[in-house]
Amino acid sequence: MNVSINWLKEYIDFDLSPETLADRLLMLGVETESIKQLGEGLDGVVVGRINAVRNHPNANKLVLCDVDVGKSADVQIVCGAPNAREGLVAPVALVGAKLATSLKIEAAKIRAEESHGMLCSETELGIGEDTSGLMELSDDSPIGAPLAAALGLDDAVLELEITPNRPDCLSMIGIAREIGAETGNPVKLPSVHVKEGTANVQELTSVSIDAPELCPRYAARVIRGVTVAPSPKWLQRKLESIGVGAVNNVVDITNFVLMECGHPLHAFDYHKLAENRIVVRRAAPHETLTTIDKTERNLTSDMLVIADAEKPVALAGVMGGFDSEISDQTVDVLLESAHFHPPSIRKTSKALGMHTEASHRFERDADPEGVISAINRAAQLIAELAGGEIARGIVDVYPGRQTPVQVKLRPERVNFVLGTEISSDKMTEILTRLGFNVSSTFEVTVPTFRPDVSREIDLIEEIARVYGYDRIPTTMPTGDIPTAPSTAISELRERVRDYLVASEMMEAINYSFYDAQSLDRIRLETSDRARDALEIRNPLSEDMSIMRTTLIPSLLENAQRNRNYRVENIQLFEISRVFVPSGDSELPNEPERVSGVIAGNVGAGVHGDPYRAADFFDTKGIVEGLLNVCGISDYAIATTRHPVLHPGRNAAVSVNGESLGIFGEVHPEVLESYDLGYKAYLFELDFEVLAGAADLTRRVEPISIYPSVNRDLAIVVDAELPASSPVELIRSSGGALVKSVRLFDLYIGDQVPDGKKSLAYAIEYSSSTETLTDEQVDRVHEKIVKRLGAELGGELRS
Amino acid sequence: MQEELKKIEAEALSELQAVANSADLEELRIKYFGRKGRLSTVMRGMGKLSAAERPVIGKLANEVRGNLTTAFEEVGEKLARQERENQLAMEAIDITLPGRRPQLGVKHPITQTLERIQQIFRGMGFHVADGPEIEHEYYNFDALNTPADHPARDLQDTLYITDEVLLRTHTSPVQVRFMEKHAPPVRIIVPGKAYRHDYDVSHTPTFHQVEGLLVDYHVTFSELKGVLHSFARQMFGDQTDMRFRPHFFPFTEPSAEVDISCTVCSGSGCRTCSGSGWLEILGAGAVDPNVFEYANYNPDEVTGFAFGMGVERIASIRYGIPDIRALYENDLRFLRQF
Repeated sequence: MNVSINWLKEYIDFDLSPETLADRLLMLGVETESIKQLGEGLDGVVVGRINAVRNHPNANKLVLCDVDVGKSADVQIVCGAPNAREGLVAPVALVGAKLATSLKIEAAKIRAEESHGMLCSETELGIGEDTSGLMELSDDSPIGAPLAAALGLDDAVLELEITPNRPDCLSMIGIAREIGAETGNPVKLPSVHVKEGTANVQELTSVSIDAPELCPRYAARVIRGVTVAPSPKWLQRKLESIGVGAVNNVVDITNFVLMECGHPLHAFDYHKLAENRIVVRRAAPHETLTTIDKTERNLTSDMLVIADAEKPVALAGVMGGFDSEISDQTVDVLLESAHFHPPSIRKTSKALGMHTEASHRFERDADPEGVISAINRAAQLIAELAGGEIARGIVDVYPGRQTPVQVKLRPERVNFVLGTEISSDKMTEILTRLGFNVSSTFEVTVPTFRPDVSREIDLIEEIARVYGYDRIPTTMPTGDIPTAPSTAISELRERVRDYLVASEMMEAINYSFYDAQSLDRIRLETSDRARDALEIRNPLSEDMSIMRTTLIPSLLENAQRNRNYRVENIQLFEISRVFVPSGDSELPNEPERVSGVIAGNVGAGVHGDPYRAADFFDTKGIVEGLLNVCGISDYAIATTRHPVLHPGRNAAVSVNGESLGIFGEVHPEVLESYDLGYKAYLFELDFEVLAGAADLTRRVEPISIYPSVNRDLAIVVDAELPASSPVELIRSSGGALVKSVRLFDLYIGDQVPDGKKSLAYAIEYSSSTETLTDEQVDRVHEKIVKRLGAELGGELRS
Repeated sequence: MQEELKKIEAEALSELQAVANSADLEELRIKYFGRKGRLSTVMRGMGKLSAAERPVIGKLANEVRGNLTTAFEEVGEKLARQERENQLAMEAIDITLPGRRPQLGVKHPITQTLERIQQIFRGMGFHVADGPEIEHEYYNFDALNTPADHPARDLQDTLYITDEVLLRTHTSPVQVRFMEKHAPPVRIIVPGKAYRHDYDVSHTPTFHQVEGLLVDYHVTFSELKGVLHSFARQMFGDQTDMRFRPHFFPFTEPSAEVDISCTVCSGSGCRTCSGSGWLEILGAGAVDPNVFEYANYNPDEVTGFAFGMGVERIASIRYGIPDIRALYENDLRFLRQF
């Protein structure tokens, strides 16, 4: 909604700069998006009159003009415009003026003749498109007056953002009322005098409402003998100042009244209406209507139309019909002022993709009691500006009359809810200024232009906002603090996140959707459950069209993006929900996942700690560490088959027989589809399963007071033998004395026969009851060596 | 002999002055104190002395031995100190070589901001609650006093799965879900993701909100101001000013938009705040009685307030991020700055 300050001042007195007005409105709940100062660059431009035109002695195409600029003597101005002539009233940029085109006017000699200013065209002033010659002003323009004032451009226009609960603010009078509530100045409504002729409107037309549930009120007037022509300049400029294009006098008047009081009107060419009458009804199936924008609309039976005896002539409350619109040939006018059911207008305008000034107001609920004042105001102006005679009376069909809303206000409740001490007199004053009627017992009658107010709390809000939110005290809550719900899940999530961050991984957060091809790119089989993704019906783009069922594609895309920027060490994780359709309930399940990708290098990449290519065991270590942090020691890791992973370098983790997730090297085809130039590793764990198995409680075990003994041993075994086998054997042979076993070296190469590998273990022996002697340790150690040889074919390496 | 001893002492002390390192000192020590050393040799000749001379010479010999021992020890200590110093000097390294920093990861700036917000509200007695991201139209709109075919629905551009199921456009649906299951008093915050059909420098289609809800038998609008004021000062600094402006949300009444004084210019007006001196950070208001009805609370018995803030918005103010879409690119060059 655009509001012109000058126009607004016709309805209320105020003396505020546009910026101050914007601030005041803001604190009432009306935000100003922009302030446009009209007539910028017109400083120093005045209205001038050419009193004499003489030939330029030294130039054929130039003339010398003596121009009256409202000073004691005429000034001489050299001019080349073809329409420069004696008696022409035109804008003059005086010496010192700086025009919108950034041209600075100086006293100059043009071909040896003095020129004290410039006679201007519209384009030179930046206020129009006409380049043909000097802008021609009307003869009665005040000579010497600033051009901006003469053209009504000494104005500012506020672009206001009106919240959807306030249809009344979609008009000059509505905004004036808000200012009045704050300043206390009265709102000046326009005085309307309709001079009616003798013809009776009831004999000229009739209105029948066949769908009263969608049209509570329809009023019509007939004005005969109008002359359709361009509007007078003042009206055109007024509309243009707030961005409404001028059409012709009749249409401009309906727009003017719309902007003035917020009530949409429509004017029909009376003779284009079959039988000159109005039927308000639902559209028939397959009916069509060509609207004013020359588009044919297919109508459905839940749309309300204004029809004549035969066919639809307007889409009710949205847009008029092309065939019955006001044209140059129109002589008689049927004027419509009506009230429509808001949800119906909204549905129709949405279904047809038509958003108009009228539909914007009707879907927010216009004032049913404003119907008559609006139609009278328009009839009066049409008679004044377009001529013609207003038929006597109004056809006013009003099946949906409502009793005014009454609300009981408890002043003590106002202060109870707000935490204030506002006097009841102040409350009455505020509500009265806003147009409410407050009885001595605080029965409040709500004006019909305030459909948003129907309850006491609505009145409390009105009082609060006009009283001023800034005047409401600032206090802290005094009530009880409720008992806390369980925080186990969030504690675990924080623990896992802290762990991953401490493990060199950076946290990523991605959109919750991606494109359907993402699941192809990670090679999911058609039968994979993760293929069953929810689709967004109205996605922003194909890239954001299905809800994630796995975080893997997002992380691989992140890796790709970083790779494109030549980032060489990528360690990213994400903790987020995925969305799994659920068979039995309407809402999907939203299990949480913890996933990560490691690609390129790991390490600090500094002297003494160089980069090292990431490998499978970095990922495995992250996963094992994570399980450890969650207090899960009883888990199983086994090779698996997952299409996103390298068939020989992958693993599945399970806890208590329940699948927890997967990890491993990304399949080369997936790497290619993400254009990753190096190997990548990933993991994805089900947070729910993790939480089910997690145990964050810790019980301290006594630390042995006896020193431990460390022994290393290296054995050569078959290359095929899993590295876990010797560990299991060491543990089972050593029993309770073996405190820990650590594989510290794996070696394949020179000095180790083909098909063999060397495994070196550090074994820590200790007892909780005594200091172990060398003999005790030797005995166990030798037993271990013997069994490694006998059972695994392991040869001791020296 | 007396003279011999004095001579040995004088020579030893003079030689001691010239000793440059502990090896030379040891050599000198052997020269005088060794089994065949000069002092030992003299001492061994003591037996030839007369009984009268012996105590005199013996005393002198002990004196000389004592003096020399002390002198040798002093020099020895001095040399050891010097040699340690030399050794340490030789061990000096180039401290301008880079340190090996622990390669810590970083929590996403949205997470860091969320954690800070939660910490502040926990301090004011709020507990964390959550709810589904894919939501019934009922909880997202109807139960929040936003009926179908009401223009208020246009305030939020919604992503739909079906006619009735949608991606929640705010974390507010948890208000009613929580109240359905818990009796008053309620004091919760709801951090979580929300979704809208929006994509520009200040909007991403997935974003994070923190919803707040406080319901009790007598909660006032002034307490809403108090809680948010306290939040703003802890989040943005003690000097932060706050402004409540009337606004419209279907599920609060009275409703407010809340601004803080610009964190860049402190209110004098700059590019960040478009010259206004204020930055909008959240929407809030008293819980609308209709919402209580939907939640089966009696609006005559309880009052409350709710607020909702955009985490990306707060992160962008906190870190000076001009285009919030950067938060979702997961560019490591960006993430490493936090």
